[in-house]
Amino acid sequence: MPSSSAPFIGKLSRFRFRHEVGLMLLLAIELIVFGFFGRRFLTADNGINIIRHSVEIGMLALVMLPVILTGGIDLSVGSLLGLCAVLFGKLWRDVGVDWPMAAVGSIVVGLIGGAMNAFLITRLRLPPLIVTLSTYSLFRGLAEAITQGTDAFTGFPESFLFIGTGAWGGLPAQAGLLLACTVGIAMLIHQTTWGRAIRAIGFSAEGAEYAGLPVQRRVASAYCLAGAIAGLAALTYTARFGTAKADAGTGYELAAITAVVLGGASIFGGRGSVAGTVLGVAVLGVLGNGLTRLPATLSTASELTGIVTGLLLLASLALPRLAAMADPSGTVRTEKQERP
Amino acid sequence: MTSALLQLVGIKKTFGAVTALNGVSFDLRPGEVHALLGGNGAGKSTLIKVITGAHPSDAGTMAVGGHPIARLTPAMARSLGIACIYQQPALFPDLTVTENIGLRLESTSPFRRVRHRERRRLAASLLRQVGAGFSGETGVHDLSMPQQQLVEIACAIGAGAKILIMDEPTASLTQPEQELLFGVVDHLRRNGSGIIYISHRLEEIFRIADRVTVLRDGESVVTRDLTRTGSAEGTAIGQGFDEADLIHWMVGRHLERTSVAIPAAGAPDRLTVHGLGCEISGVHDITFAVRAGEIVGLTGLVGAGRTELARILFGLTPADTGEIRLDGIPVTISSPEEAIALGIGYLPEDRRRHGIILDLSVAQNISMSVHTRLFPGGWLRPDAEQTLAEHYIHRLGIKTAGTSAEVATLSGGNQQKVAMARWLAANPRVLILDEPTQGVDVGAKSEIHRHIRSLVDQGLAVLLISSELPEILALSHRIGVMRSGTLTALFEGHPSAAQLMRAALGNLEPGDPPC
Repeated sequence: MPSSSAPFIGKLSRFRFRHEVGLMLLLAIELIVFGFFGRRFLTADNGINIIRHSVEIGMLALVMLPVILTGGIDLSVGSLLGLCAVLFGKLWRDVGVDWPMAAVGSIVVGLIGGAMNAFLITRLRLPPLIVTLSTYSLFRGLAEAITQGTDAFTGFPESFLFIGTGAWGGLPAQAGLLLACTVGIAMLIHQTTWGRAIRAIGFSAEGAEYAGLPVQRRVASAYCLAGAIAGLAALTYTARFGTAKADAGTGYELAAITAVVLGGASIFGGRGSVAGTVLGVAVLGVLGNGLTRLPATLSTASELTGIVTGLLLLASLALPRLAAMADPSGTVRTEKQERP
Repeated sequence: MTSALLQLVGIKKTFGAVTALNGVSFDLRPGEVHALLGGNGAGKSTLIKVITGAHPSDAGTMAVGGHPIARLTPAMARSLGIACIYQQPALFPDLTVTENIGLRLESTSPFRRVRHRERRRLAASLLRQVGAGFSGETGVHDLSMPQQQLVEIACAIGAGAKILIMDEPTASLTQPEQELLFGVVDHLRRNGSGIIYISHRLEEIFRIADRVTVLRDGESVVTRDLTRTGSAEGTAIGQGFDEADLIHWMVGRHLERTSVAIPAAGAPDRLTVHGLGCEISGVHDITFAVRAGEIVGLTGLVGAGRTELARILFGLTPADTGEIRLDGIPVTISSPEEAIALGIGYLPEDRRRHGIILDLSVAQNISMSVHTRLFPGGWLRPDAEQTLAEHYIHRLGIKTAGTSAEVATLSGGNQQKVAMARWLAANPRVLILDEPTQGVDVGAKSEIHRHIRSLVDQGLAVLLISSELPEILALSHRIGVMRSGTLTALFEGHPSAAQLMRAALGNLEPGDPPC
């Protein structure tokens, strides 16, 4: 193999290639099955619907990816989305600032929340799982306290609601934001030294430190980015529903993690791609929508979504492992087993 | 004379291409302390692992109590009464002494009743036998290191061990603690146990050993008796040998300078270190300088503080006392990032954990410490990275399928060359090499040596840490020796291997230069 002339044909790339092709096939199968059996599935309206519903989870998954690439996890982004949504509503309705200023406020609050995670994880060296589990409760709790559990902010101006309900040339307005996030994160992860460092840290934080990479700063920036984008997602979420409540984005952190892992990222860090994550979001988004369109499952769609998602995730983890076992020469690269 | 407790004849063990043991013969009689002596890499640890069944030997015979043993397993070794007391006791710190002893000695079946009273009685009796002055109800985390070693010994006695291996038991003990341990060793000897005693402290050998065997390069060089004088201290004298002979046997005579290094006199001091210390890494009062174009070798026993010194200079564990100057300018180094920015590179000892990132490609590993220079603005430039990697693959002769091959797919020697290439690419002023040829084959080793020489020809200052005396002697212009966290000697001329070994062991003679 003349590898110097074909630098992208390495072991790693081959695995990623296979994984992403697998996801594309899965997506194609979904579209065929739901298109054939589903009611009004293959319509422009439904396409827009699927995209609208996937935007927040997509944004969270895109920023969950670098966190997971460092070998970390962020369970707090869904709760932070809720807190940002509520504070956005508070700023606009009770403080009386214009919605664009309140929107900036939402992103700043998200950044502060992310910075709090980053501080606890990189300065106090606490485990990300526990830190973000705590802030997962904390952020949601604060959102509930601010609204006393019942208050909801509504009556936002049309110009704001357009973000969640409007369309640009046949595409939902928030798709533009998701696209911008996708391009931005893809460039960060795949084309900058930041992404290279994030990956190196995930493979071996000690190795990265000995190479002189600013390990703690890079890890911190990943959590800050996740927080800021959670603040952005709070805006599209609020604009989509027209109301900001304390329960906004409940469970979205798990959906985002599912998409990232389904997209081929290693939960131990280092491996994963934006393309895989986007495909993971698409597969899950189409699945959730498609199941509600099948006549046979109209009443049981939500339960079925859970079952099928779980099975898909398990299959995506088990299949490469089984392939590796069947092929002792080790040409199929899978999740590392020896990492703590 | 009674028959030997343990008899090893012609034991051989190889790991890949490395011969660890090449025909070692060793025996242990009841009621004797048999000291095992040898430099780093002489084969002591491997021999212990063969005796305890952790490694099967490739050739040779072993007999326990006169019965030949084939295919020894760790479980068999335990049932034959072989026990090893390691330097770092492996007890559960949160349990009491009694609980630890119970766990070690009682049945391991998952569902059994614990007979607490019996357990307490057994623990108390064992503790009495080793002369422990603490109760079985004490939590292990409240015990000092020697007390924990006593618990280990108690476990060994309780398991019916007749062959006790003690691996550097006094390495971290204070003087009174050592006395306590020697008392227990003496007690065990009088009860008819055999003790294999490993230590780097020659005075201890004369203090408690009945016989001594010296290992060198995987061979048993010599076995000699010591005669007890019967005095109160129990000091023994060698039968026709003294400490100098022991050192000579450990070193051998073939270790002389293999090439005459070019002296770097007159060159300016590049790295100057004055009174350097770091509390948490146990390094203190280090003063020396490395000139431009000079290799200063740094040797000493494992644990003498050499790697700890390197970690201070590279900002991994920043210094809390003393001064570091680079080209005469005082600097503070508080992270590897800062060290690299100042022009200091560090090739670490543990290649797979620290030196490279196995899952990344050859090119990504080589460019890792020059991101800011190679990728201005933070944008990756695959072409520039490729060119850089190809340059060093060619220059160092790295055997790889390509620049994008994962480093994990390379052989150990080639992985080490990738780690070296990273630092060559960083173009440092000072390069610290920590065991640069550990675990690489002979061919790659001489290539790496050639590259180190060519680096200093270009004016780099190199601090070379190595446990291998031939390597130190072949490459260094000056040689420092570390012991117990500080630099104890700095040889300007051409010291003999025996002089270095003496310094490393702390047996300096009048002719040796103090630091």
